[in-house]
Amino acid sequence: MVIYPASSCNRHKRNERLDKMKKNKKYMVISAISMICFFVLWELVTDVFHLFPVYSMPSPIKTFQAFFIKLVNPSPDGSVLLVHVAASLQVALTGYVLGAIVGIPLGILMAWYKPVDLFVKPIFDLIRPIPPIGWVPIMILLLGIDLKSKAMVIFVSAVIPCIINSYSGIKQTSEVHINVGKTFGLTKFEILRKIAIPTALPMIFTGLRVSLGVAWMTLVAAELVAATKGLGYMLQIARTIGRPDIIVMGMLVIAGVGAILTGTLEFLEKKFVRR
Amino acid sequence: MKTKEKSLAVGIGAAAILSVFLIWYFAASYTKVSLFFPTPQKVFSRFAESLSVPIGKYTLQMHVLYSLKRVFVGFGLSSVTGIILGVAMGYSKTVNAIVRPIFNIIRPIPGLAWIPLAILWFGIGETTKYFIIFMGGFANIVLNSYDGTNKVDQTLVGAAELLGANKFQIFVNIILPSATPYIFAGLQVSLSTSWMAVLAAEMISSYEGAGWIINMGMNTGDTVLILVGMISIAIIGFALANIMRVLERRLCSWTVRGK
Repeated sequence: MVIYPASSCNRHKRNERLDKMKKNKKYMVISAISMICFFVLWELVTDVFHLFPVYSMPSPIKTFQAFFIKLVNPSPDGSVLLVHVAASLQVALTGYVLGAIVGIPLGILMAWYKPVDLFVKPIFDLIRPIPPIGWVPIMILLLGIDLKSKAMVIFVSAVIPCIINSYSGIKQTSEVHINVGKTFGLTKFEILRKIAIPTALPMIFTGLRVSLGVAWMTLVAAELVAATKGLGYMLQIARTIGRPDIIVMGMLVIAGVGAILTGTLEFLEKKFVRR
Repeated sequence: MKTKEKSLAVGIGAAAILSVFLIWYFAASYTKVSLFFPTPQKVFSRFAESLSVPIGKYTLQMHVLYSLKRVFVGFGLSSVTGIILGVAMGYSKTVNAIVRPIFNIIRPIPGLAWIPLAILWFGIGETTKYFIIFMGGFANIVLNSYDGTNKVDQTLVGAAELLGANKFQIFVNIILPSATPYIFAGLQVSLSTSWMAVLAAEMISSYEGAGWIINMGMNTGDTVLILVGMISIAIIGFALANIMRVLERRLCSWTVRGK
């Protein structure tokens, strides 16, 4: 009597799970078919029927080949793929790390100490509406075309989301928690360190993630405008000589590196943030 | 008490901005910075002058209007298609299963990385710029519309079903309203990316627009021109962000994010 309903319940649950699995399987099949259709269609319109001019649309096979050729062959832009990736990463990470190192403490200070907030906020509001890419010309004119100028542009792009997110993260700290801290005799700094910052940590990580995306995108754009190395530069050269296979391959590499960076950050977030 | 605090805030804010300009002024007039950086008066007088004297072919406000036109066309296209696709993906699992894998390939490509390919496809005309702006905002709108539609409270849908609402009624009266705040969050982000995309597109190939101004300044080594361009870019960026916020407050007054 006791066992029966339980097992029926289990059976019911198992059936439900089986149903769900079947349904998921159905959708997975649909996804796989749609993916295959996409690539077959792409191959058909390019290599088989030549619906697009050769200089504007590569076939998936050519794109795939371009990746492996570019791994070892430095033509047409003078460096192999990994050198470009490394150059881009160096610039992006320099600017990004600087942005995080400056942005997060600044956001925390602004949220915690009123006078800092009142003083920095108006200056921040002056700078914020300028999209990061708008900084490229002035930085290049002032700092030259090498790593420094682009790292500064990335810095500007990364620092803004870091400030905004750590600011609102600290502001979220519950009044009750702060009062508990006060009751137990913590100083204002101890409350910040032991209560407010742990509360803000998830938001801070969100800021880090957002600014990583923005930084990577800004970097590619900056390299398109002015560079001598890097993935954006590779794309730009490929465009001027009409090699769409390298362009599409480069776009996919940019996407891949971006995804790896985001994935790493998510991994760190899981390690450091207790939810 | 409240007014006193407010006037203190305004005072400190004004002091902050004033000190920035003072530092700028003194650095650009009396130190070595003057070799490569203009004084604020120079920048602002040039700004005022460009409103009547053309830079290149047009006056400053015409350049800005050109950029704005591009933003609105590209952003309009990406919002309409993005919302439709995102809502369809959130509403129907089959559509999601079909579109998702292709979307997942395209999504991590930054919008601006489409520029070289777009130039090969469409030349350097207006279509290219619309396309780049479209790609800049598209993924974000799709993702947010999908999230909004997907996160509908199933209890509400069940209740409506129980009361005899048909699918269309549920969609219009429950799913759409509860997705609207998410959609707006997506629109707001993608409007600012669109503004960034138009600048990048104009910097790489165009003959007019705010992005052209700063690129022109870079190519001719004219720092004053770059700063004039940046000021106008900041003004428009500020205006765009606030228009969106006001619209959001009007259209989804039941759930305004933040304050």
